[in-house]
Amino acid sequence: MSAMTEHTLAAPAVTRLLPKPGTLLVGLVVIGVAVVAASSAPRVLASLLTQSVIVAFLALGVGLLIRISGLVSFGHAAPFGLGAYGAAWALSPAAPIAPEIGLLLIAPAIGAAFFLIGLVVSRIEGIAFGMLTLALGQSVHVAANKFRTLSGGSDGLIVDVPRRLWGFRTEALQTASGMLIVAVAALMAVLLALAVFERTRAGRLAVAIRENEERVRFLGYRTRAPKAVVLALSAAIPALGGVLFTLYQGFVSPEILTWGFSGQALIMAILGGSVALWGPIAGALAFFVLREELGGLTSHWLAILGTTLIVVTVTWPTGLAGAFGALGRRLTGTVAKGDPA
Amino acid sequence: MSAIFRCEGLGKQYGGVVALQGVDLELEVGKVHGLIGPNGAGKSTFIDVASGRTAGFGRVHFQGRDITAVAPGERRRMGVSRSFQRTSIFPALTIRDQLDLAAHGAGGGDVEALAAMLGLDRVLDRRAEEVSYGQQRLVDLALALVGAPKVLLLDEPAAGLSVAESEVLATHLEEISAQWNVAVLLVEHDMDVVFRICHVLTVLASGRFLVSGPPSEVRTDPAVIRAYFGSTA
Repeated sequence: MSAMTEHTLAAPAVTRLLPKPGTLLVGLVVIGVAVVAASSAPRVLASLLTQSVIVAFLALGVGLLIRISGLVSFGHAAPFGLGAYGAAWALSPAAPIAPEIGLLLIAPAIGAAFFLIGLVVSRIEGIAFGMLTLALGQSVHVAANKFRTLSGGSDGLIVDVPRRLWGFRTEALQTASGMLIVAVAALMAVLLALAVFERTRAGRLAVAIRENEERVRFLGYRTRAPKAVVLALSAAIPALGGVLFTLYQGFVSPEILTWGFSGQALIMAILGGSVALWGPIAGALAFFVLREELGGLTSHWLAILGTTLIVVTVTWPTGLAGAFGALGRRLTGTVAKGDPA
Repeated sequence: MSAIFRCEGLGKQYGGVVALQGVDLELEVGKVHGLIGPNGAGKSTFIDVASGRTAGFGRVHFQGRDITAVAPGERRRMGVSRSFQRTSIFPALTIRDQLDLAAHGAGGGDVEALAAMLGLDRVLDRRAEEVSYGQQRLVDLALALVGAPKVLLLDEPAAGLSVAESEVLATHLEEISAQWNVAVLLVEHDMDVVFRICHVLTVLASGRFLVSGPPSEVRTDPAVIRAYFGSTA
């Protein structure tokens, strides 16, 4: 046999997995800006930014599913809401384990649940997948309304956040400025983790499955589990946002489980674009700013937002991330396709 | 020499249309077996059924084991690999990344050496969508070759290539079959490539076996001429 079989596959070097230093620097700058904004921005602006960053976790989950698997979800409010309700439960006296442990387990547990769902629905694509997620989201919404003893029904639950968690005072988490710093730092950590994941073999395999699943199977892979992993990640991230939501608001209700909320997250993901990992986050910020500004002008702000979305989709099909990427390449004079992560 | 890959009575029916009927074929190590025939003869159907892409009739044996019910991915890990009629690669991934994935799926393989052999070493770090069509076809072939499979089922690898590119491809296939001791099934319309590198030819017509033998004999067989041109004249 030729030398072709002598090679053993070396694990990718750590340096190859990490994003470029410039990208890491941007992440640190964003955290720095959040610290400055938290300490100096007016309360209303800080509150707006905090809400948008928390919901950005949901948009990021939706965008990740589009980016890696090419799948559109109409029900990702479910993992966000389950994360929020899970946090309320973990912080309640009924929880069997310490809240510090319970809170940390919520996102992995919801990710694991969606992994199992992913194993079952892995062959479903396109509009059928969208309808399935819509049905799943609505099921969770109905359940939250019906099981009053667990969820408080349509009245929701007031959450009694302990004064200390992990040894830290929690008052800051319930202020816009404090939560803004925590949420932005957590979001940057998630982005870094996703950027690393995309560079691993598992991440590349997930992209390969999106591009040509049949060929992947003929290369010796089973595709069910990798697809389920992406769905799990796309659910665990919103679940983390849901946990932060509960810690910040101290209140949860089925409002965050509606299909309308899932639709808003989808709008954010499309507005921001999925060509870059950070696109949906930009979309969430843009959505909240637009809503705030337009809401002050007219009660029909959704109509203007819809029109904006149509214009953005037609003008920049790759969203804000694509537009910024194109602008960046024009400014730097490069024509090669950039590495947006 | 005994056959490493044996197909017995392969068939396929689409509704009322019989696309392939009871075709037997054996592949031997180090030999290139050409499968030719006019359009609609059932060549691609044969390779699809033999590779497990499509369910059909008949049995497929590899190294004496019946692999008819074995999934394509498992077949690949066992050493049965295939390429596709339409370029079947991963446009958004770099060529290195996709060959690395293929190597991992096959259980090993020297990506750098394979790329150098096929002349892809200079474009290894470019996305597949950024290279020429000819190079994309070579990437398609490389994906099938990574890990040195024991059986290679190639569905029109020269489709869309220029004469010069087909020549290069034929040279690669000759080297691979001889030096890697791989059994190759080549479905191909480019008769220059077929008659240059095939040791054995099987001809299909209308989904049925027509004739099999050395290329020199098949070329002059009246039944083959009739199948291609409608008469022996």
